[in-house]
Amino acid sequence: MNASWAFSDDLPQGVIWIALVLGLGALGLLVFELRRRERWGAGIFLTGVVAVLLLLAAALRPVRVVSRGSVVGPRVVVLVDDSRRLELKDGEQTRREAALKAVEQVKQRFSDARISVLGFGDGAPKNLDPQSPDEKLGHSTSSDLVEALSSLGDETGERPRAIVVLSDGRLTRPEAGAEREALELAWRGLGVPVHTVRVSEKAPRDASIRAVKTAGAAVAHQPLALTIDIGCDGGLACGDVPITVKELRQGVEPALLASGVAQVKDGKATVELKVTLDRAGDRILEVAITPPSADTIPANNRRLLSLNVARERIRLLHVAGRPTYDVRALRMWLKSDESVDVVAFFILRTEEDDTQTQSDDELALIPFPVDELFMSLPSFDAIVLQDIDAVRYGINPHLGRLASYVESGGGLIMVGGVASFAAGGYASTAIGRVLPIELNDSGQPLDTEDFVPRYTRAGKAAPIVSGVRDLFGDDLPSMPGTNVVGGARKGSVVIWEHPSLTAGKEPMPVLSLGEYGDGRTIALTVDGTHRLGFGQLATRAAGRGYGALWDGLLGWLMREPRYESARLEIVGGACVAGRATKLKLSTLPGNPGPVSLELALLGIGKAGVIERKAQLGDEGVVEIDVGALQAGGYVARARVGDAPATRQDFACEEGGEAWADSRPDPERMKAIAQVTGGSSVALGRIQDLPRAEATRLATERHVSAWIPAWLWSLLAALSLGVHWLVRRRSGLI
Amino acid sequence: MSTRRFSRRHALAGLAAALCASRATAFGQAGAFQARLLKTGGIEPGGPRLSGPERWGWELVRRTSAPGRLVTKLVAADDPALFDEPFVMWCGEKAPPALSGPERRGLLQFINLGGVLLIDDWDPQAGAFTKAVRAELEGLLPESPIVVLPPEHVLFKTYYIVDRPYGRLEGPKSIEAIVRGGYAQVLLLQHDILGALARTRSGGWALGVEPGGFLQREYAIRLAVNIAMYVLCSDYKDDQVHVAWLIRRGAAVRP
Repeated sequence: MNASWAFSDDLPQGVIWIALVLGLGALGLLVFELRRRERWGAGIFLTGVVAVLLLLAAALRPVRVVSRGSVVGPRVVVLVDDSRRLELKDGEQTRREAALKAVEQVKQRFSDARISVLGFGDGAPKNLDPQSPDEKLGHSTSSDLVEALSSLGDETGERPRAIVVLSDGRLTRPEAGAEREALELAWRGLGVPVHTVRVSEKAPRDASIRAVKTAGAAVAHQPLALTIDIGCDGGLACGDVPITVKELRQGVEPALLASGVAQVKDGKATVELKVTLDRAGDRILEVAITPPSADTIPANNRRLLSLNVARERIRLLHVAGRPTYDVRALRMWLKSDESVDVVAFFILRTEEDDTQTQSDDELALIPFPVDELFMSLPSFDAIVLQDIDAVRYGINPHLGRLASYVESGGGLIMVGGVASFAAGGYASTAIGRVLPIELNDSGQPLDTEDFVPRYTRAGKAAPIVSGVRDLFGDDLPSMPGTNVVGGARKGSVVIWEHPSLTAGKEPMPVLSLGEYGDGRTIALTVDGTHRLGFGQLATRAAGRGYGALWDGLLGWLMREPRYESARLEIVGGACVAGRATKLKLSTLPGNPGPVSLELALLGIGKAGVIERKAQLGDEGVVEIDVGALQAGGYVARARVGDAPATRQDFACEEGGEAWADSRPDPERMKAIAQVTGGSSVALGRIQDLPRAEATRLATERHVSAWIPAWLWSLLAALSLGVHWLVRRRSGLI
Repeated sequence: MSTRRFSRRHALAGLAAALCASRATAFGQAGAFQARLLKTGGIEPGGPRLSGPERWGWELVRRTSAPGRLVTKLVAADDPALFDEPFVMWCGEKAPPALSGPERRGLLQFINLGGVLLIDDWDPQAGAFTKAVRAELEGLLPESPIVVLPPEHVLFKTYYIVDRPYGRLEGPKSIEAIVRGGYAQVLLLQHDILGALARTRSGGWALGVEPGGFLQREYAIRLAVNIAMYVLCSDYKDDQVHVAWLIRRGAAVRP
């Protein structure tokens, strides 16, 4: 129990100070007045002092405070580095295992303290139970101590008396050498010592890719500089380290984009390699080094980068077998679009044509550079083959190359005509396998009956033709016949179908979409879509129908998000090999239909495909658990109901950014402790950490007046009266 | 490899079949070039030049890979069928009657959709037809002036290398046009191009060329082919790849 006194609780602090100042002023005046007076001086002074004091007491009314309380252990926060980097091994155990064991030692050291154990990584620290099996592995890529301290400082509850940080010191923040500046704001709010426990102090024998930086954004067909930092530590002799950069693609071997050699000096090297990516969209690059044989951490010898490759302009090759109004319409639309860089070749003359000229100099014709064109396919984003005979014009020797081009991410559209599909010699060729429909050698290759295509259920749900449907609803112009094709291939989507012709038991596809490898293909079996832009139906929409259709076709081919029927993303932002991974699929609310997801490793001869089924929630969102994935590049395809599939490529890394630099940084741990007034100790010296001060808690408090307020007033009045009498007797008044 | 491919001969056979069939088009022919003749004020163009479009189509098919229709088709300016194809010719010797409201709307919509209108004056010396049509065009497209196409315009190299226009008459050395969005959508000829193409039933040329000579008619046919190619391919021959190749070949010579 403690007893003390105070002024009355109902007085503001300011009033108390004013009263005290006035009292002191009155005493000062009294001393000034009596400094040369000898008669009755002592009496006047004494009665004056008593009067002032009693007057102050009447105003401030002193009270007696009796409190009862207890002393509790100090609050100590233990911050454990929650980065996956601590899963690196130091000898027989991982750094994380060492850190979790150290938590117990910290608890013993601060046995009288109230200890909170939190994990810090990205953002605010979270509760961590060292005994829980769920805590065997780290949860974050980074180790942001500054953010963790800042969050603790923002808490409204009891402040800790000390903070103990357990880490290897390879923190994201504060950066090495800038501890004071970085901690200034975050730590000032707490003002308590931050002790550090160094869970690792010796660098492993490791060669690693510490960082891969890109200069600017990745743009298709333009060189992209990759700056690759290589590290070599732990006494490992690295010398020259070979580096390769490859692009992972579906169904084919990774494509080597660049290679080089890093000459390691003083444990580090930086190499700049230029790569050129031909395809836009999500692309997965593998950067790998070949380390010395004594390297102990193989997981950080390879990094997988997810690059979103932008496209400055779509570079498109338009090849037509003869000029027609359909060719005209497509060319004029392509030329009107500033985002498309079109290279066109139309066959204007055949060997059978009689030009009535003496010399070719009278003609503005150039040879069709078929070999040159098809040898440089990767420089194009998309190819449009329109009514061109593969055999007559020498394309057929290049069809294998064209199929490979699609497989590695290119786009292909085949437009109908008398020399398209089977009629153009494409059946039973490599390109026949790439298209979204079957092609047959036998049977009639053309049908000359007029017809109006009709939308399938998928067509009515597909964003690719929503622009046309916005203009014309379900109406389409009449088509003067069609190429006859087989049914849709597995996984393809039919947008328009023939009202009477069939392929097997199904209506014959007229407009269909497909994927092959990393690329996309479109088969349009008619040559009359120009009637959407010029024709009687076209007048209803001022000719905008043709542009709306081809905006969608080319946009879908180039994977523009607005033409995708859904959106896929990794829950948590990154995939970590060996950890449970979820994919989130979002579509517009009200989109019915089940969701089917297919996940496959990029590359050739890889493990089997993962398939999942799910049902969309009311908000049009569903999270699909695909389990623990092995390291590599992945392609995920999700299909909602009948709509075309949506694709998302992503990388799954084992170590990734967290393991890029395996060296501990004990000096940074020491610097943090020094800046904050704490202590830094190694794992075996936790007992050397200073204890924190106990916290005193008040549980009961009684306040009572010394004497009643009226009595203070009476005594003050009496004393003033006595003082007045003494002054009068002395002749001062 | 397919053994049943559809060759050019098949296409020509299909064309013949299409001509005999009751349907206007067949697969592969919907996009074929056809020089349709415009009817305005209820007046149909007539005379020997009506065979010109047939010959135009025939020459196109004979000389190039482009499909063409070997029939003459007339279409009224206020007929929805005007929008079936993006090319039509407005021809005559005398001043045509003023366009009616529906005709004006039809022609304007045709041009706004991207169609190409060829004005062919069959009697440019009198000039009555050109004068009246110019007045109509100024009213129809007041914001688009008539300009002279430069000699390097793609129209002069869409197939043949042509240095000036020819028709039945030698006419002016240049072609006037209304250019919209970089594309010459209205072409004004004062050379009577259909007169140079017109044939008699017996297979001879219907009208003699002035001042005359085999080459003048040949050049007129070449211009007609170039116009068809311009309609079918627009400015294809302005693409850099063609220009560079032709410059390398040194092909800027008169045929």
